[in-house]
Amino acid sequence: MAAFEYRQAEEIRDAFARNGVRYLFIGKSGAILLGFPDTTQDADLFIEKSADNARSLISSLRELGFKLTEAQAREIERGKDFVQLKDGPFDLDLVFAPDGIERFEDAWRRHVNVEGFPVCHPDDIVASKISANRAKDREGLPRLQAFREYWLERNKGT
Amino acid sequence: MKQTPEIPADWLAEFEAAARRTLEQRMKYAFIHTYKPVLDDAKYRAFDTMADYRKWCEENLPSWLGYGRV
Repeated sequence: MAAFEYRQAEEIRDAFARNGVRYLFIGKSGAILLGFPDTTQDADLFIEKSADNARSLISSLRELGFKLTEAQAREIERGKDFVQLKDGPFDLDLVFAPDGIERFEDAWRRHVNVEGFPVCHPDDIVASKISANRAKDREGLPRLQAFREYWLERNKGT
Repeated sequence: MKQTPEIPADWLAEFEAAARRTLEQRMKYAFIHTYKPVLDDAKYRAFDTMADYRKWCEENLPSWLGYGRV
């Protein structure tokens, strides 16, 4: 499996737009889209949890080349909080209920558009990392919080 | 470079340098792929709740991957 590429992010953006999927880039991949200089392995997407959105998501994933069985598709449609896909053109983590964020609608209201990519606000990315409280997140948190300060200062008034 | 006292100078320099790169360049430098034992050994996993996912990570992944809660 090769690393996730800009071209693939564009493919997600375009396929999700065609099918009307409500989603946001979140996690470190979201921070990277905002300008955070760091490394990560997977793209993390915060998906609005609803049956309609799940059906649109499944259509999009199949268009992108993910091999979802009917049973897996039904499972996603019924509602899961976290789905990990490693059977497609790139690895994808689908998060339907990220730690530290109450509702998709709240995150959507605050979201940032980066060249057509919908991305969680840095406050939400930091909040979800704090709430997840994993060792790997804890290590990088001070630098991510510093980036949040930098981003807020740089985007003041926009 | 803009002075932001609460941000260490080396981090600030990195943020400023990243801001000068295109999104495509930033992504090229940021996304890497290495094999993660256990985690990468299934093509599909789904969890009803985030708590189930976190518990599975703690019980099944090597601790050095850092997925355990602190």
